[in-house]
Amino acid sequence: MTRLSAALLITTICVGAPLSAHDRYRIIGTVTKITAGEITVRQAKDNSLVEMDHDKKTKVTRDGKAAKITDVKVGSTVVIDALGDSILDLLVLEIRLVPPIAATKKR
Amino acid sequence: MNGSTASQIPVPSAGRLAVTTAIALAVAVLILVTIVLPAEYGVDPLGTGERLGLTVMSRPQQRKPAALPADGGELKPTALGPISQYPVPFKVDRVVFTIAPYDYIEYKYQLAAGAQMAFSWQASAPVSDDFHGEVNADPNQVQSFDASNFDGAHGLFTAPFNGIHGWYWENPTGKPVTVTLQTSGFYASAIEFRSDKTTVPHELKTP
Repeated sequence: MTRLSAALLITTICVGAPLSAHDRYRIIGTVTKITAGEITVRQAKDNSLVEMDHDKKTKVTRDGKAAKITDVKVGSTVVIDALGDSILDLLVLEIRLVPPIAATKKR
Repeated sequence: MNGSTASQIPVPSAGRLAVTTAIALAVAVLILVTIVLPAEYGVDPLGTGERLGLTVMSRPQQRKPAALPADGGELKPTALGPISQYPVPFKVDRVVFTIAPYDYIEYKYQLAAGAQMAFSWQASAPVSDDFHGEVNADPNQVQSFDASNFDGAHGLFTAPFNGIHGWYWENPTGKPVTVTLQTSGFYASAIEFRSDKTTVPHELKTP
């Protein structure tokens, strides 16, 4: 009976461990790589690269109208809203194709 | 001295191990379906997630304000006919934000139910704005008071509940936009929420 209880407890802990809340992130920049399930964006604010997953539910828009994931190309300027536990683990909800960002002077 | 040896320790039979494993697996599947899937992915085939309030966890979280006073309760007004009296002087605030292209920022004040604030903000170009409040007891409970595309607004606000109240401004253009906000009121604190998930408390002044 002790072993059974221990097994149930361990199972509960292992199964319950991944429970966590998600946060919404906005990633703005230029696409450097896009594959069937992943997109990498160089952020406009600091030139850092962010790799995210996308799936069939990912919405793509241009000027407020629906577009296709195949419209997203390397070099496209995008505004991405993604969901995840951290910037290292994001699933893309929406990709907005936008005009290129105007160059700004760095202070 | 204990005389037992390894050979004397009872070993569960293969049948008992199989039963134990099957029970553990069944429990794991049960927990997966009733708790993990609703909480993590919003998949709730049995409706247990909704009943236990777990599906809320799968939704995007509203950022919780860091280090805000409890609820600004000490700044709750006392009504004396047409006068609302407060135990402390009002505060003033002036902030200037530069919002990067397509980025957004939120700025909110902690106000008790009934507390008032005068505001005036001006943007260098039209922005998408949403003046809204989040209930202290449940930050997922958000009420939008005014959402539109403006380059400025001026007014008086009376908080309908204890919570943080303020603006979401989004720059819909490819060029930076500057927003200047001036307020005065009976708020307890102010906090800035940035799109990179950082929060910045702001110091408030007494006139």
